[in-house]
Amino acid sequence: MEKTKITSREIVTVGLMVAVIEVCKIAFMGLPNIELTSFWIILFALYFGKSIYFAIPVFIVIEGLIFGINLWWIMYLYTWPLLAIAVRMFKKVKSAFFWSVFSGVFGLLFGALNSLVYIFLGETLSAGLKSAFAWWIAGIPYDLIHGAGNFVIMLILYKPITNIIETYKKKQG
Amino acid sequence: MKKILGTSVVVILAVVMVFVYLHFGEKTADGSKNVTVEVTSQSGEVTSYDVETDALYLVEVMEEIEALTFTVDDGMIMTVNGETADYNVNGAYWALYVNGEYGNYGADRQPVTDGDVFGITYTVA
Repeated sequence: MEKTKITSREIVTVGLMVAVIEVCKIAFMGLPNIELTSFWIILFALYFGKSIYFAIPVFIVIEGLIFGINLWWIMYLYTWPLLAIAVRMFKKVKSAFFWSVFSGVFGLLFGALNSLVYIFLGETLSAGLKSAFAWWIAGIPYDLIHGAGNFVIMLILYKPITNIIETYKKKQG
Repeated sequence: MKKILGTSVVVILAVVMVFVYLHFGEKTADGSKNVTVEVTSQSGEVTSYDVETDALYLVEVMEEIEALTFTVDDGMIMTVNGETADYNVNGAYWALYVNGEYGNYGADRQPVTDGDVFGITYTVA
């Protein structure tokens, strides 16, 4: 089995990624479902490759330490890694519009993805499915805001931020 | 062409979700309703409040009950009548029951209909 070696430079990059995601997360906390976490995870997964798979667990652990371990934390455990994996599947695409649509769809499906946890919380599978479905439906207005927010944020910020990331990567050599 | 296709994906998905929400979503009821809120404390003591209300959501009913003090964080009931349930300390939370069944919503999104009995019960996981 091939071992994955992580260099000190990558560790610094992972630290930077987590710091950027966390600071923006806290800065946008007042706005319901308007967030930059999806935006950053998408761009970092595109530009820093597999380092994102180190950054996401660190981000999730920090979130748990700051806000406490709760149901949403379990949702984070699979939602953000799934996003990164999905992004890596389209890693060759460098189009602001494509990633805006991608991020928008992710925002729209965020509640549906998170509701999956409720399936396992029910006493029976049918009770769990019912609960997950009700939870998803109740959150649809928030998912719509989330999708629209993600779409617009990516459309506006994709080019300026990717320029900055490319400059950073050139300086890093 | 690709842009039209991409935009269509987002718009169609959003429209389907709006349809699902309008069709399957819990509906609130306008007008006067008689409901009961039953608080079960950590010691098992039950306090019952009968309310006549025009409120659409449970949290508004709770606000109307003068004898009831509470705090809610993001729909989660945190403190009731001075008793705090802190999941991080001992796995305790205020469970919400609607007509005897475990509620699917937070207090801020739980619709109120005539005759509803809401149970707010101190529970340790």
